[in-house]
Amino acid sequence: MAGAIIENMSTKKLVILGVILLLFQALAFMVGGLMAPSPTSAVHYIATKCVDTAKHRQEKKWFMPWGPNQCDKIWTFEEAMAKKIEANNIVFAIHMPLPNKEMSPWFQFMLVILQFDIIFKMYNQIQDGALASIDVALAYRDDTVSEWTEMAHSFEQRKLKCNFTTTKTMDNEGRYYECELLPFMEIGTVAHKFYLLNIRLPVNERKKVNVGIGEIKDIKIHLSIHQNGGFTKVWFAMKTFLTPSILITMIWYWRRITLMSRPPVLLEKVILALGISMTFINIPVEWFSIGFNWTWMLLFGDIRQGIFYSMLLSFWIIFCGEHLMDQTERNRFSVYWKQVGPIVFGSFCLFIFDMCERGVQLTNPFYSIWATEVGTELAMAFIIVAGICACLYFLFLCFMVFQVFRNISGKRMSLPAMSKARRLHYEGLIFRFKFLMLVTLACAAMTVIFFIISQVNEGHWRWGEHTVQVNSAFFTGIYGMWNLYVFAIMFLYAPSHKRYGDEQSSDAGGNSGEDIQLTTTITHVDGPSEIYKMVGKEAQE
Amino acid sequence: MTEEHVLRCVLMLCCALLSANASNWLYLAKLSSVGSIRDEETCERLRGLIQRQVQICKRSVEVMDAVRHGAQLAIDECQFQFRNRRWNCSTVETMPVFGKVVTQGTREAAFVYAISAASVAFAVTRACSSGELEKCGCDHNVHGVSPEGFQWSGCSDNIAYGVAFSQSFVDVRERSKGQSSSRALMNLHNNEAGRKAILSHMRVECKCHGVSGSCEVKTCWRAMPPFRKVGNIIKEKFDGATEVEQRKVGTTKVLVPRNSQFKPHTDEDLVYLDPSPDFCDYDPRTPGMLGTVGRHCNRTSKAIDGCELMCCGRGFQTQEVEVVDRCSCKFHWCCYVKCKQCRKMVEIHTCR
Repeated sequence: MAGAIIENMSTKKLVILGVILLLFQALAFMVGGLMAPSPTSAVHYIATKCVDTAKHRQEKKWFMPWGPNQCDKIWTFEEAMAKKIEANNIVFAIHMPLPNKEMSPWFQFMLVILQFDIIFKMYNQIQDGALASIDVALAYRDDTVSEWTEMAHSFEQRKLKCNFTTTKTMDNEGRYYECELLPFMEIGTVAHKFYLLNIRLPVNERKKVNVGIGEIKDIKIHLSIHQNGGFTKVWFAMKTFLTPSILITMIWYWRRITLMSRPPVLLEKVILALGISMTFINIPVEWFSIGFNWTWMLLFGDIRQGIFYSMLLSFWIIFCGEHLMDQTERNRFSVYWKQVGPIVFGSFCLFIFDMCERGVQLTNPFYSIWATEVGTELAMAFIIVAGICACLYFLFLCFMVFQVFRNISGKRMSLPAMSKARRLHYEGLIFRFKFLMLVTLACAAMTVIFFIISQVNEGHWRWGEHTVQVNSAFFTGIYGMWNLYVFAIMFLYAPSHKRYGDEQSSDAGGNSGEDIQLTTTITHVDGPSEIYKMVGKEAQE
Repeated sequence: MTEEHVLRCVLMLCCALLSANASNWLYLAKLSSVGSIRDEETCERLRGLIQRQVQICKRSVEVMDAVRHGAQLAIDECQFQFRNRRWNCSTVETMPVFGKVVTQGTREAAFVYAISAASVAFAVTRACSSGELEKCGCDHNVHGVSPEGFQWSGCSDNIAYGVAFSQSFVDVRERSKGQSSSRALMNLHNNEAGRKAILSHMRVECKCHGVSGSCEVKTCWRAMPPFRKVGNIIKEKFDGATEVEQRKVGTTKVLVPRNSQFKPHTDEDLVYLDPSPDFCDYDPRTPGMLGTVGRHCNRTSKAIDGCELMCCGRGFQTQEVEVVDRCSCKFHWCCYVKCKQCRKMVEIHTCR
């Protein structure tokens, strides 16, 4: 007779397994905390103010802020005023990265944030709802001498959300507005070594373009954010290590199930699906981004994560449902449509949102859904609907968990009436079920706690001579944790080959007739142990 | 090394020690004729630098433009912060830039040292971010860069470089004196306080960029405050500056508050040794001591910009003048203002 491994495993072995998993968990945290640098880094750039002297230009000219062929620069706009240079002739140039450095495909993505430094002037204030119209072009090259190749050119509008914290009096002229950061550009792969941004703020009084945006002192591309190369390497290494581990476990698990004479039950299928989605997320296809210019990698990563999350959530619901221990026959996916529906719908909403943002960015890296009024509302709508779905889901989940525990305590009531061996076994089963619930809760809690720590923390802790990168530890640790979680579920819920009573004779008692009875009564306790029912019947026959 | 060379070095050192003022490098701001400082020869011709500073200039020529912009920034900010005071940070055409006013260890000198040290750190940091300097970033000190380091873990804040450069360039004069005199200690302290005004007011800003814009990945960075804010902070420290004197504690000499009942100053406070003059009268023997004759004042104010205090009790003249003012202007975000001219009558009060 076979059951799930978790039922047949002795407590000692379970503890050993737990310790091993904990060690791996600690290792995952340490890999991130000690080996990897912080996950992302931000580089400040201040745009150089170049002067475009030509009136009408046929071909496109690129303005370099420094190095050979650098543009005519001005230091301040007062200088421009004196030289009678107009706003339309000013080009803000930013070269990424800074001198003597090179971008690298290991950066994975690059995100550019724009910040205007706008001075408060009594008679030239920012008007309400002022829009900045930005004419922007992005170019790249792979060595320091060749011509720039245009990568994107766009005419973007961004709403200036600035406020002035002190009183608007003459005395406070020259202070800066506090402006919100503007998401400006996002590229999903950093395939080239050098990037150049040329930004213009053309003024057209008749069309009311760039009028009433105050007096701009400076443009700071406040920074560009990219994933650190070191972090990418550690991350890839981790993925490359985890993929075969989970894959092998998954194959082993499915072989065990197919070896049995009965068709697999729903929970077993769901666990397999969980394993597949975990493998899907693990497969290090990102290695290709080093060699190929695949801009869609970022979007693909999002989709993979989304699939895993919705699979995990569905798994929890079905896991609880199959452990309800009421007499209803479930074992069909259609029974759970009510609970799984919100997950699917919610993830679909987020998918649409992601397509609208990152999908469009594949063609126009300057696009932002938040830039327009309609886009913002649409985005908010998607996120709110997804949020409602999430709430709905958690209500269902909590209700189901509550039901399971109620049924368990119901069974507990009848425990004293049972024979000793049977009671011990029952108690063991309930303990192990609760143990898994506890592990799930612990994993979720760990995720939340570490998430909060990484949000609040400055990013690294100093510990003697060592610097612990908390954020990296969070990413690798949590990623490792969910991998271990999936591994543990696949391992512990695989059917056991062990003959019942061989090793657990002390638990279950020596009487084989007692065994059979026992297994038939606990049919409802555990989904995968459906097998008991059939095996029990066979034995009785 | 030839004998002649040694002799020249000694001579130069003597000259450096004897020259009047350590903030002479601010004179760089006045050197608009030099154009951009591009080669090492220009360093020799720059007035106002002591020998050690010339060496730094030669070693890092590219930074000198930033230093010059920093000097200008310091003067502008000083004049803004002191626009309503009797001493309004006016510059003279000779060295030292602020005349003899800052040669004594006064509060005003403390302010000038602090703002100029801060301005160099600020300007160099900005120059780093705009790519004008090749040496900064990726390393916490002034030496060396590593492209591999950048690709592995990004770069450190440029502010570290800016501050380090300010320390080596601005403080060099005081360091060469061997930190013995009380004046050197005061200057060093105030320089550091000026840089602290930037460092301890760095803003932490963050950006979320995870899946679907969630905050799964958050990147934070430190941003420099605008220089106007730095000026305000140092001005506040000026108002609450501590009068100190030199005392020997063990083998080292330290500055302690003259009035022992005051609590000791912190690293961020300004300190001064000598009380300030009243700045009321023109003194031909002290360049920069222009007096307040002819200064505009505010009749209704009771503060230092009020006519009572500004004119040192000498009284004031009131004139009604017609000023041509700009009104109903049209602005562009840069470099373009179109205004009508409005005439209006204003009362102007001038100190006798």
